[in-house]
Amino acid sequence: MIRRTSPALALALAGLALAGCRGDEKTQVVQLGTKDAVQVGYRGTGMEQTYDMDDVKVRFAGTNVPTPLPPAGTSPPGPLPWKNVQVLNDISVAEFNRTMVAFSTWVAGTGNCAYCHNVANFSADTLNDGTPIYTKLVARRMIQMTRHINGQYAAHVKNTGVTCYTCHRGKPLPNGLWFYSDRDDYLRHYLDRDGARVISQTEGPSNANRSSVKQTEWTYALMISMSQSLNVNCTYCHNSRAFSKWEQSPPQRVTAYHGIFMLRDLNQNYLAPLRPVYPAVRLGPMGDAPKAQCLTCHNNAYKPLYGAQMAKHYPAVWGRSEWNGVPFPAFGAAPSIAAATTPAAAADSGAAAAPAAVDAPVPSAGTTAAPGATAAPAPRTQQRR
Amino acid sequence: MLEYQNLFTRVQVRHAPDPGLPIPTPQYRVGKGGFGLLGYLAGKIGDAQIGPIYLGWFGTLSLVFGFAAFEIIGLNMWRSVGWDTVEFIRRLPWLALEPPSPEYGLRIPPLDQGGWYLLAGFCLTVSILLWWVRTYRRARALGLGTHLAWAFASAIFLYLSFFFQPVLVGSWSEMVPFGIFPHLDWTSAFSIRYGNLYYNPFHALSIAFLYGSVLLFAMHGATILAVSRMGGEREIEQITDRGTASERAALFWRWTMGWNATMESIHRWAWWFAVLTTLTGGIGILLTGTVVDNWYLWAVKHDVAPRYPAANIVTPDQREFLRGRYMGTSPDSFPDYKVPAAVIDTMALPPLDSAEIAPVIDAATMRDSLAAAGRVSIRAIYFSTANAMSRPESQPQYLEIQQLMLQNPTLRVMVEGHTDNVGQPDANLTLSKERAAFVRSRLISEFQVDSTRLVGTDGFGDTKPRATNDTPEGRRQNRRVELVRIP
Repeated sequence: MIRRTSPALALALAGLALAGCRGDEKTQVVQLGTKDAVQVGYRGTGMEQTYDMDDVKVRFAGTNVPTPLPPAGTSPPGPLPWKNVQVLNDISVAEFNRTMVAFSTWVAGTGNCAYCHNVANFSADTLNDGTPIYTKLVARRMIQMTRHINGQYAAHVKNTGVTCYTCHRGKPLPNGLWFYSDRDDYLRHYLDRDGARVISQTEGPSNANRSSVKQTEWTYALMISMSQSLNVNCTYCHNSRAFSKWEQSPPQRVTAYHGIFMLRDLNQNYLAPLRPVYPAVRLGPMGDAPKAQCLTCHNNAYKPLYGAQMAKHYPAVWGRSEWNGVPFPAFGAAPSIAAATTPAAAADSGAAAAPAAVDAPVPSAGTTAAPGATAAPAPRTQQRR
Repeated sequence: MLEYQNLFTRVQVRHAPDPGLPIPTPQYRVGKGGFGLLGYLAGKIGDAQIGPIYLGWFGTLSLVFGFAAFEIIGLNMWRSVGWDTVEFIRRLPWLALEPPSPEYGLRIPPLDQGGWYLLAGFCLTVSILLWWVRTYRRARALGLGTHLAWAFASAIFLYLSFFFQPVLVGSWSEMVPFGIFPHLDWTSAFSIRYGNLYYNPFHALSIAFLYGSVLLFAMHGATILAVSRMGGEREIEQITDRGTASERAALFWRWTMGWNATMESIHRWAWWFAVLTTLTGGIGILLTGTVVDNWYLWAVKHDVAPRYPAANIVTPDQREFLRGRYMGTSPDSFPDYKVPAAVIDTMALPPLDSAEIAPVIDAATMRDSLAAAGRVSIRAIYFSTANAMSRPESQPQYLEIQQLMLQNPTLRVMVEGHTDNVGQPDANLTLSKERAAFVRSRLISEFQVDSTRLVGTDGFGDTKPRATNDTPEGRRQNRRVELVRIP
């Protein structure tokens, strides 16, 4: 549906025009980009997905996936020796330190602890003068959100899952953040609150569906934004002769549908409520917190990072004691958390377990910041089963 | 040698401007000295004479209203970019004057909430109608037929359909926005909202006549140009006095396609094709949302759209999840409006055959049967032939099943579908599965039965008859839904 004008095509046309004008000159032959058309539906229905292979190659090569840090090994699980650890208290000390280093690489720049922490007192949520460190408060909520996504939305993220890097890409602000405004009205209506469905399930008019054409335009705008966010045609998810029919749609549509539910949940329960935490400079023109859309994770790829699996190396963001049947050796400080199957349960147990950490001895800041790369890597099976 | 070519010519024909017929009210005549003037550029492409223009009261008022509409639209667009001239020019193709929001229904909104839109639409409509009167009256004044006025009227009918359709469905919001891309976006959204307008047969007819008009235009224009050296451009003359141009043109078409129009009939062909383009288009718009809400489903029902095998197997659980909700309560829909009963009646199911009516099995009987036999056969959930959705007459039986599940909180059942042996076995099997899934999802969504207690669904088509399929009564017994107790 959305296709950029190919520069190669423009050159070819210019070449043809030149050839027409000056027959005596040598005609320049310009190769058109290699296209790959993949049939995704019943024959003769035009259900195909067109890939510009040159374009895909460039995009793929331009996608950086950080190398996983060396595994933390099997250091003994137990209550963390630090105060005020509210979420990541179900992993070992070594895994904790390793995760913190990864976080800095993914979001703020490797080793930039001060982006989120008071380096004089790592456990504090405020600077020495009492100013709240909003980045730390946001980061904590974002870790909970990441675990929520990996635990509750397997229908959308499958066992690839997400990490901070999926959206952040090494930058503090992910791409595609949006705020309330006339321009992004369609996002407000669908990724924040309402639903996208406007087509009747019955042939004749009924009072079940009184959707207006204006709603349809918002749905259309949302769909085009999804198409652009994923760099795919309409036919990636729909048979365009009957947009609403699930039976005629490719299976990707079900995944995308869960994605809409996911974004609505994340925007309502994780991103928008952070409004009081942010300084004014991070808020939108109507005073609302930044929110996510498809582009935020996908970054113009049909799968974020073209499907690279990062979460399986980081139990702290995966939030469960095993990945795809493979146990994480360093996961499971508290038995109740190791047994939990959903991150919602994990978050609850985590909150309950937090006071225990307060009683633990407080190490020096230097200890806290040390990356836990000293433990020997434990053998782990990581292939999919 | 210079040669005069109409459409682009190096020859400027200069002559004394022809004043035409005397006009009774000369103050309405516009043009140099009342005689018109000769235009150089006009001479390049056609007759060099411009004017005299006759405006009259209707023409003057039409221009006034048209100018008012133009100004309202343009100034609103300009206002929408904060009166920034550069932005206005840069974003002009995307700027719009939008109709009122759905929340206003057919009420009059404030000026900046769509009131300006209604005002602009009113002015534009008055302007167009006054211009139509002008074309009619000027044709009469010159002693012409009124063919042009009636062709114009057909286009106006399509234009007005975009007013009447929103009135019929009860909301100004459904009207077309003023704007270059916005009105194209509206076209796309309108088609999607009503389930793909390409399946609207009147839309199809309109397109056929539109393309037909273009084809006829090209054929006729080419034919006359090709015979102009024999005087073919004197078409009207040749209707009565057929010369060699007409003969050769006719012969050309008989040679190439076996048959020809005449110098007169070709103009009737063109006129009717043009008129029918907008006439059928308008009918298609008026039927949309009022009689048909989803043209794709209409086309499937009437075998216009081919059925393709499912590309995606949707399980009953997924179907339940994917059912979704209409956002009939969001501020962007127009819930005030109720579809008239008369319209719903025309779409209603055929009445249920009285022979089909089976006794409703009450909750206690179902409980006993489930306890004794492990299953209960239900006939009072009715389906139309080859349709997986149950009919409204099934309500009492659904309520009894709801009672059964309420009174026996530990009971878990599975829903099975069965058909008679009429039709293809494969189709019956699919149908029975779909019916069972429908009953389960309806029990969950409409009757609040806990989904974990409706363990699953299955269908067996005609493979498990309860009675003979050789008699109508036997077949009636075989068309059934069964509840099976799951221990």
